[in-house]
Amino acid sequence: MTQYLRGIYDAVASALKGMRITAKHVVRKPVTLQYPDERWVLPARFKGFIINDTNLCDGCLRCAKVCPVDCIYIETMGKGKDRFMHRYAVDYNKCIWCGLCTEECPTFACQHSLDYDHALYDRRRLVYEFVDPKRPVPCHKERRLQMGYFVEQVAAAPPDPDRIAKAPRRADLPEAAPGAGGGEGGGA
Amino acid sequence: MSETAIGRGWGGQDVRRELHSELLEINMGPQHPATHGVLRLLVRTDGEIVHGVTAHIGYLHRCAEKIAEGCDWRQWMVYTDRFDYLAPINMNFGYAVAVERMLGVRVPERAEHIRVICAELQRIASHLIAIGTFGLDMGAWTPLLYCFREREEILNILERLTGGRMLYNYFDIGGLRFDAYDGFERDVLAFVNIMEQKIPEYDTLLSYNKIFIERTADVGVIDLATCLAYGCTGPVLRGAGVPFDCRKDDPYSIYDRFEFDIPYGEGEQGTVGDCWDRYMVRMREMYESCRIIRQAVDALPGGPVKAEDLKKLVKVPQGSLYTRTESSKGEIGYHVFADGGSKPFRTKVRSPSFSNLHVIEKVGPGMMLSDLVATVGSLDIVLGEIDR
Amino acid sequence: MQVMTDLFARVFGDGLSPLGLLIAGGLTMALIMALVMASCAIVFTWAERKVAGFIQSRYGPMRVGRWHGVLQPVADMVKILGKEDIVPQDADKPLFLLAPFVIFVGSLMAWAAIPFAPGFIAADLDLGLFYIFAVSSAATIGILMAGWASNNKWSLYGAARGAAQAVSYEIPLALACIPVVMITGSLNMNDIVIAQQGGIWRWHFLHDPFLFVAFLLYFVASIAEVNRGPFDLPETESELVAGYHTEYTGMRFAFFFLAEYANLFLVSCIATAVFLGGWQPLFGPVFLPGLVFVIKAVLLVLLQMWLRWTLPRLRVDQLMHVCWKVMVPLALVCVLGAGIWMLATGQAG
Repeated sequence: MTQYLRGIYDAVASALKGMRITAKHVVRKPVTLQYPDERWVLPARFKGFIINDTNLCDGCLRCAKVCPVDCIYIETMGKGKDRFMHRYAVDYNKCIWCGLCTEECPTFACQHSLDYDHALYDRRRLVYEFVDPKRPVPCHKERRLQMGYFVEQVAAAPPDPDRIAKAPRRADLPEAAPGAGGGEGGGA
Repeated sequence: MSETAIGRGWGGQDVRRELHSELLEINMGPQHPATHGVLRLLVRTDGEIVHGVTAHIGYLHRCAEKIAEGCDWRQWMVYTDRFDYLAPINMNFGYAVAVERMLGVRVPERAEHIRVICAELQRIASHLIAIGTFGLDMGAWTPLLYCFREREEILNILERLTGGRMLYNYFDIGGLRFDAYDGFERDVLAFVNIMEQKIPEYDTLLSYNKIFIERTADVGVIDLATCLAYGCTGPVLRGAGVPFDCRKDDPYSIYDRFEFDIPYGEGEQGTVGDCWDRYMVRMREMYESCRIIRQAVDALPGGPVKAEDLKKLVKVPQGSLYTRTESSKGEIGYHVFADGGSKPFRTKVRSPSFSNLHVIEKVGPGMMLSDLVATVGSLDIVLGEIDR
Repeated sequence: MQVMTDLFARVFGDGLSPLGLLIAGGLTMALIMALVMASCAIVFTWAERKVAGFIQSRYGPMRVGRWHGVLQPVADMVKILGKEDIVPQDADKPLFLLAPFVIFVGSLMAWAAIPFAPGFIAADLDLGLFYIFAVSSAATIGILMAGWASNNKWSLYGAARGAAQAVSYEIPLALACIPVVMITGSLNMNDIVIAQQGGIWRWHFLHDPFLFVAFLLYFVASIAEVNRGPFDLPETESELVAGYHTEYTGMRFAFFFLAEYANLFLVSCIATAVFLGGWQPLFGPVFLPGLVFVIKAVLLVLLQMWLRWTLPRLRVDQLMHVCWKVMVPLALVCVLGAGIWMLATGQAG
């Protein structure tokens, strides 16, 4: 009999204690953000969508080789001094945002942006092209210097994870390449 | 099965009829709000009482172990993230320890400490989801959201540290990929302070709520013999009363330097090994993780975070090794076979949820359908780990 | 209905015969009750989502409608009306189509005897309270029909549990109201409310400790009766997906939804009328009776919502245990105790 009455008392008491906690929460400010009006301030190291600044990219293929899922498509033609890269694409159907390509890139061309909301209706548009095929990017160092593309030595120290905040901006470059095809070129 | 119905006919005579009845076969199918992932439980019930349970898995199989044969050693690290996606760092930890032991590489001190901090933060995050979804299975909607609010803080810290919120790619063979950010220790300690105040709140709201106790105490009792027979580890084994934890009994990394207790089930509210015990083991493990984090932050040294003598293209000498580490779900084992090349020959993963899940076939018969949901929830399975 | 017939009499003068007045008044009241039911659904779905949101440290609906998503239920209604009407292939079609209406009608009929204000009651029956309990049982058939006709094993589970629960909890529900009937000496809802005049200390729930316990029993039994809160096993979203109304979409689902929230308000209205003084104010003379009644009922509804979002749910056998082994004996003790109290204080006549 005591256990029976004790059970009733426990049920009511624990329910009331729980209700006190939930009631306290009603008067507190909610912790959610009203997306898309309010957005989360992303940290410097955030692994957003990869963008490749073809101003800086010299087609060394390190990013494509290190990618675990082979989502970077690079096509080059020619050999030696006449080597040109005419396709640099990142396939976001496959990309896992691991950032291995950004760690490998010696010229800071391949970086994480701070974007994350690229929802699309068509799966094919998730392959982002960074090179305009009509204006292929030179790969060899001499040709790059000749045509006014940026050239930098391979970094001796391991890449700094906050490099997005510290990476050279286009305005800082010695000579911006004449109308080099950068940015996203739309779908495949 | 058939039963006999006995009654009286119109003329007052005794009448016996054979009633043909059979067990109801019902699918708690791959899509179900209570099965924690794509799991199919084929349940044979007689009304509310379960007579048999069969677990069908494989809906989330992604051939990760086969892919290992085509990847570099370092590249496969990102695949380990995807096993237990609620606690990826623990998966990374196991693989890193396995390969480092085979290579004989010494990981720098700073990297070890940060690894432990991240692993324990991840353990708390994983247990928060386990507790929240367990409450959700019982019908308590609110604790889930409170747990997610705390988990959000952990994910914010890890986002500032690694750049990812759920899948990190931060661990590397021989250390970490890059160093922690300024203010990492301050953020971690601030979080631990908050966490230690919130756990009593969860206790009042959920753990000691009479309805919750009625639903989980004496329910789904998995005793020690069953645990050993099925190879259950982690909170399932500890809930059965055995204080076995790989961090204490088979120490890896620098866990032998830290002081912490192993909580185990004592049958406080019901029988030893019931759902409430497993749930309470997870709650108390969060406290212990907070303790470890404080000690690790106090002892955090400076220095490099990558092993200096390791080449970029790792080549592991021929041999095989099985290493086990303690993930939030149990003992995660990596059996690694190397043939001297730059790609693994075979990486076999022993996932804790795989063994834990199949206990339900032994424990299921005899309980009610709601209890089945409670028991599956208390096992805390992740299908990514089971199917790989 | 008196208010309505008087209104029609004033408007049409001698143009309508008494029968005509009766029919006109009755139809208008029925329409008003149906509108009240529909607006319950609209207001309380919004309220539930906001209450749930704030309890869970989030906002709830915010975007539809300028202020805190007030037009969200309207958007939901528009969405539901636009959905495809799916009838499962092997479903028992007549039963499947009829079930939502049975549940809806069972709820609507009970609204006839709720006293919102003096004279503003659709049917001033002498058997008011008894009638309410009798007709709200009709919804149980609807639940069984829905679960069986869906041709879905999970719906069947939900329906079986729901029917068992609804039938069992009617007993403590009715037993808890018996002390009030003893005190008032009448089953007429108006009489019950009028007997509580004179300020909060004359309300039935503070009449004696046994009646206070009876009020709590009624409250808990009513939550179980409407399949809410800790007793929502028939529609457990984590076990049975949605229980007996899994296979319903579109407007049919809207009927279930409507009936659930209308039932929620209905049992709160009954509790208000029977225990909390109905349209009687806290103190002083009668002032805005309809508003007072609605405010009290809404407070009880909010209390039910608070309970739902705090507590886990009971398993079906625990539910039955609570009903038959805890609530029925307690209710009988309350009946006995209230009677003895009345004898001891000399109120029995």
